[in-house]
Amino acid sequence: MSASVKSEIHAFIVENFLFGDASQLPAEEISLIETDLVDSTGILEMVLFLEERFAISVADAEIVPDNFDTVARLVAFVERKRAAAEA
Amino acid sequence: MAREDVPVIASMFQRILRRDRRAASPDLIAYLSKLFLDPPNRDPDIASLVHLRADGSVSGFMGVLPMRMAFEGRPLRAAIGGSFMVEDHEDDPYAGARLLRAFQNGPQDLSLTETANDVSTTMWRKLRGTILPDYSLEWLRVIRPTAFVSEMAAGVFGPLRLISPLARPIDALLGRIAPGAGWAHLPAAALGGKALPSSDADAETAAALFRRFVELHALHPDWPEADLQRMVAESGRKANYGGMVRRQVLARNGTPVGLFLYYGDRARIGRVIQVLALPGQEGAVIDSMLADACERGLVALRGRSQPALLDAMLGRRFAFVHASSSIVHARDQSLIAPFRAGQAFFNGFAGESWSRLLGDRFD
Repeated sequence: MSASVKSEIHAFIVENFLFGDASQLPAEEISLIETDLVDSTGILEMVLFLEERFAISVADAEIVPDNFDTVARLVAFVERKRAAAEA
Repeated sequence: MAREDVPVIASMFQRILRRDRRAASPDLIAYLSKLFLDPPNRDPDIASLVHLRADGSVSGFMGVLPMRMAFEGRPLRAAIGGSFMVEDHEDDPYAGARLLRAFQNGPQDLSLTETANDVSTTMWRKLRGTILPDYSLEWLRVIRPTAFVSEMAAGVFGPLRLISPLARPIDALLGRIAPGAGWAHLPAAALGGKALPSSDADAETAAALFRRFVELHALHPDWPEADLQRMVAESGRKANYGGMVRRQVLARNGTPVGLFLYYGDRARIGRVIQVLALPGQEGAVIDSMLADACERGLVALRGRSQPALLDAMLGRRFAFVHASSSIVHARDQSLIAPFRAGQAFFNGFAGESWSRLLGDRFD
C-alpha cells in the first residue's frame, strides 16, 4: 500500500469529515459509511478529490462500496487506477 | 430507464416526493411513462436515469428532460434534472451520488435543475454546480392580508378554511382605511384602472408569445413548435393549484407586451408559473397580472423569481424567500456567465414546472 496515497487520503478525511481531529480517524478497514463519517455528499467530495489529486478518472460505475467504503479500499482503488494508466 | 421500471418509479414518486401512502395510480404511471420515455424536445442521447441495487431492483431515479437552447445563435443541448429520489438514501448514499454524477456526465452542454432541495443543492455544489440566487427565490405578493393568513392556516389544518368568509369584510375595511398598496395588502383601488389590459391567450397564441419573448434573452430555449405546443397543453392541468389563467398583456395600441400564466381560485393563493415581458414592460405586465388576480378574488400570488423581473418586483413590495434552488452545471464555463448575469431564460417552461408532476392530481 502506497504510504503517500494513504497519508493524503487520511489528510483529506481529517480535514473534510473530522474537522481536523485526527484522533477520530477510523482504522483502515472500518466502513466510512457505517460510522456515519461520509454521506452521499461526502462520496462526491471524495470522487472529486481522487480525480484531482491523483489525476485519475473515476467512472460512475466505480462509485461503489468496494472502492470507496474504507481507507484501505480507497488506497487500493487509486493504486489500481494508476497502474492501469501506466500499463 | 426502461418502461418496466416505471411502476416502481411511480411508487417511489408517490411515497418519497408526494408523501402519499396510497398506491400510485394508473394515471400517474401513464404520465411518468409519457413524460420521461417520450419527453418533449426529445434527444436520443439524453435520458432519465435509474439506480439499480445488486439484485437489479430499482432504488433511485433522476428524471431528465432534454431541452434545446441557443446562446447568441449557437445551438446547445440542455438537460433538466428533477424528481431526484433514492429509496432509503441514508442506507445507500452511493445511489444518489452515482445518479447525480451520471446525469452531469451526460452529453449535454448544460445540466440544469430548478427544484433542488437542501441535500441536492449541497451535492450539486460539490460537483461544481453554480447556484443561481436570482433564479432561486420564491416570491409572494399579498393581496388580501386577512384572507391570506386564513388560507395559510387552512393549508396546515383544512377545517380552518371555514372561517375564511370572516376575512372578507375585514380585508374590505382595510382597503377603505388604507387604499394605497402596502407590502401586506393590495386593494384593487391601488391599481385603479392604471394597469394595462389583458385578454385570454389560447394555446396557439401562448406558444407564439413564448417563442417571441424568450428569444429576447441571450441564452434561451429553442423549442420545436410541436413540442412547445405539447408543453403548453400539458401545463393546463394543475388541479391542486386551481384553475388556469393564461393571459396576454396588451399595450394601449393592442400590441402584446407580455404574457402571464398562473393557477388559482377565488379566496386561494395563486401560483404563477411564468411571466414574460418585453424589456422595459416588466412592471406593466406584473401590474396587469396583479389587477387580474385582484379581480378574480385571489388572496395572494406566489411564483419563482427570474432576474428580468426582480427590479420591477422590488418596486412593487414583493416578499422573497428561498424555497428550492436553481442550479446550472457546464463543462464550458463560458456558458455559466449568462446565467450569472441574468441573461438566461430559465425556470418555468425552461424547467419542469410546466409538467403535471407539479400541481396536478393523479387520482
